[in-house]
Amino acid sequence: MDVAVTSNVFNPYFSNLNQDYIYKANIEVYDNTFGGLFIVKKIAEQHHRIVFTTEMGNKLFDFTFNNEDFKVNYILEDLDKKILINILKKDFRVLITENLKTTKAYALTKETIKKTSLNNKDYYYFENPEISKVIRVNNGKEKVRFLFSEINDNIAQKIVILHSNIKLKINLKSIN
Amino acid sequence: MILYLTLKHMHKLIYILFFIVFAAKAQTPMNNTEATALKTKVKALANTTNTISSDFIQYKHLDFLDNDIKTSGKLAFKAPDLVKWEYIDPFKYSILFKDETLFINDEGNKSNVDIGSNKMFKQLNKLIISSVKGDMFDDAEFNIEYFKKDTNSLVYFSPKDKKFAKYIQAFHITFNTKGDVIEVKMIEPSQDYTKIIFLNKVLNQTLDNAIFTN
Repeated sequence: MDVAVTSNVFNPYFSNLNQDYIYKANIEVYDNTFGGLFIVKKIAEQHHRIVFTTEMGNKLFDFTFNNEDFKVNYILEDLDKKILINILKKDFRVLITENLKTTKAYALTKETIKKTSLNNKDYYYFENPEISKVIRVNNGKEKVRFLFSEINDNIAQKIVILHSNIKLKINLKSIN
Repeated sequence: MILYLTLKHMHKLIYILFFIVFAAKAQTPMNNTEATALKTKVKALANTTNTISSDFIQYKHLDFLDNDIKTSGKLAFKAPDLVKWEYIDPFKYSILFKDETLFINDEGNKSNVDIGSNKMFKQLNKLIISSVKGDMFDDAEFNIEYFKKDTNSLVYFSPKDKKFAKYIQAFHITFNTKGDVIEVKMIEPSQDYTKIIFLNKVLNQTLDNAIFTN
């Protein structure tokens, strides 16, 4: 049911300036699967660096998000595809965006669902009370699902990003 | 007054001299004779090395992080080209080069890549073996610089191939007095680097074939 009074969304999972966020990553794209390390650092308010390396340390991509700006510092030639970069940019922006305005809220028995928008896309945040799920919806259809679990001290130990219109699944497991 | 100034300058001079000597002790270029001797020693050791087993600690340095990312594991090598590189902590991940195939075990999820036709993986296999043995003295492929560092030797290998250099600007390999590799540092063009330190390295010990399974 709709609730009148509600708070905005606060996502704390990559909000600590003093934390190096290191995840073991596993990416399933079409029938390929590959692993590596997913590294996030908050440099300043609304300023994050996101790097993906192989287990052996070779950089595959290196992105900077600074307010509305997005910059590719490095990307391996084989991955340098505009369509891929755009998908990753959109997904990662969800991970690092901390404050979102709630436009609608639904209170269920165990959780609250808050509707927000980010870069003109509709997102639903599921809170119980920590954010456990985020869904991007377009024309009433689910496009991307973000799952956060094993939350400890504002760090989601496990994160899954699952796309429904393309075969892409990103599994992240915190290692620090 | 003059005496005082002289003394003051002397202090400064001694300090500067001390600093130069200290810095020089840390790292000085080798002359040609020393470089040739090192090369001969490393090649001789590499040629008589049939197996290697070692622990390693890897530090990934990214300029923007507060701390380097530390991972550790084990390495096994058997001539001519069997290699197992295994991370144990903080996650389990291994790659095994065997029979023209790259076997990957990512926390129990197994996959493999046929490297018979893949030039990149063949190069990776060759690169791991040559950097672990330190035998990369190929003037056609690298610009090579030789240094003495305390009792050890340090060699910079900078790839000449432009495509390769975009990936790794230089390998800095440290050899002990026996000519054995004790540290490999791979530096990216951004100056971020991966440093691998080998510990408990044992050469030419019989290695069971069971080690080289995925």
